[in-house]
Order: sequence, then structure tokens, then C-alpha cells
Amino acid sequence: MTTSILAATGTRAGERPVAVALAAFLGLGLLFMAGFSPAIALHNAAHDFRHTQNFPCH
Amino acid sequence: MIIRLLSAALAAGFLAAIVVTGLELTLTSPLIVAAERYENHQTHQADRGLPIVVAHAGHDHAAPDSAPEWQPGEGLPRMAFTALATLVGAVGYALLLGAAILACGREPTRQIGVAFAIAGFASVALAPGLGLPPELPGSEAAPLATRQAWWVMTAAATGMGLYLITIRRSLIAILGGLVLIVAPHVAGAPQAPEAASELPAALAAQFAARSLAISFVFWMLIGLGFGWAWQAFARGTARGTVHA
Repeated sequence: MTTSILAATGTRAGERPVAVALAAFLGLGLLFMAGFSPAIALHNAAHDFRHTQNFPCH
Repeated sequence: MIIRLLSAALAAGFLAAIVVTGLELTLTSPLIVAAERYENHQTHQADRGLPIVVAHAGHDHAAPDSAPEWQPGEGLPRMAFTALATLVGAVGYALLLGAAILACGREPTRQIGVAFAIAGFASVALAPGLGLPPELPGSEAAPLATRQAWWVMTAAATGMGLYLITIRRSLIAILGGLVLIVAPHVAGAPQAPEAASELPAALAAQFAARSLAISFVFWMLIGLGFGWAWQAFARGTARGTVHA
């Protein structure tokens, strides 16, 4: 099934690890910014989101 | 595949962020604002309790209050930044969800998306919440860095444990997975110092329940949205190829 889907969308199988690594890197970067960054300005901007999503805050 | 993964994560993140921002602004933000009133009240009382001694008034280089840190203005700006942070967080979680699905060799569909989203919710909301319950401003808590470290380790261990139990499924993997899931709680979350807070317990309890419920909706939408968007972008690409 995977082969037919890959063929239909014209992608190479070797692309998968690259896609996974890139998405994981970007995702962790965004989450660090929104949930963990110690910069006071970022903390204040994301304050209510951090509390609601149970990121440790203050 | 890279473009499809990034686009599907963006679409799922937007979808989840729109709904969850609405829930945050109506359900949790009012409680946070109410809690901040208690927090400020406590700070003022502490200030009044201390005798003010101006010993070095003449050559005080940097008064701590001289440059207040930037923060969004009350009302609309604060709501806008909450929405922005929710969007950034939602896209971040959607990217991780997509990466996890593909790394496990699964084809993202709505069902697979929801299944992985349940694991995500358990890893970053339920498991860390057992040791560090969602808290309002003004609650007593252990130092921030310790709590963040415990949070990250618990989330990672729970995620890895769920992977071993649900995908690897050998006896050793299941036992290892159980150990990984239980270990952070046996080690124990950083404890808050014993101190009376003026924050009403009912307010804190209501906040914790609402926070977990919102996290659940957040993850379900990210999972459903990612599966849907991944399939939708495939159809789009296939049609494009036919027309081209």
C-alpha cells in the first residue's frame, strides 16, 4: 500500500527520514519558543497559553 | 513528502488553534486573570510587611523596578498574543505528531491521527499533570528549571513507553514501556514548598479540570486535522499531476 501511495504522489522512499527529522526539529523549536523559552518577553506573551497547556510557568 | 508533512501540520495546527484559542479565552483566561488579582494582592501585602530601609539611596545603580519587562497590554493585545502562542504551539505539536506517525511507518489517516493524538495527550498533558497539576499564577511551586526538566523527562519517557507498548509489543518491550511510564512518578515530581496560598481551592480545581479538557480537545483536533489534511493534500497532488 505504501509503495502505491508513494508512486501516486511521486515521492521517493528516502525522503521519509529527512521529512521526519525536519518536522521533529521544527516542532521542538516551535514548542520551545511557545512553552519553555526563559526570555521574559516570550514568557509574558505566551503566559496564558503556557498555564492552560500545563507548561511549567513562573 | 516534506512539503506534504509541513503543509498538513500547518493546516492541523491552524484548525486546532482557532478552536482552542476560543476555549482558552472563554474558559481559562478569566480564571488566570482572577488568580492574578490574588497574586498581586499577596505581593502588596509582602511589600507592606517589610520595613523599607533606604541605605544606599544615593548611589543605587540599577533599581529593580527601573525597566519593567515588556508584556502585552490587557484586553485585546493579551488575547492576540495568547492566540499567537496557541498557534505556534499547535503547529509545533502537529509537526511532532506527523513526525511520530511517519517514523513509526504508519500512513496518516484520521484514525491513525486520533490514535497518535491520544498518545500525545497522555504524554504531555496527563502524565506531567499527575505530578505537576495545571496551576494558576500565584500558586506555590518548586523552582522553574527543576519543574521544566521533570516535565520534559516525563513527557519523553511516557511517549517512549507508549511506543514500546503499543507498537513494539514484545514482552520485554511492554515491561520496559511500563517501567518508563511509571518511573518518573516513582522518582516524584519536584514538590512545592509548604506555604499557604490565598488562592481559593475551588478556583484552582476548576482551572485544572478545564486545562486538561482543553488539552484533550487540542490534541484530538490536531490528530483529526493532520490525518484529514495529509489525505486531502494527496488528492490535491494527484489531481495536479493528472491536469499537468
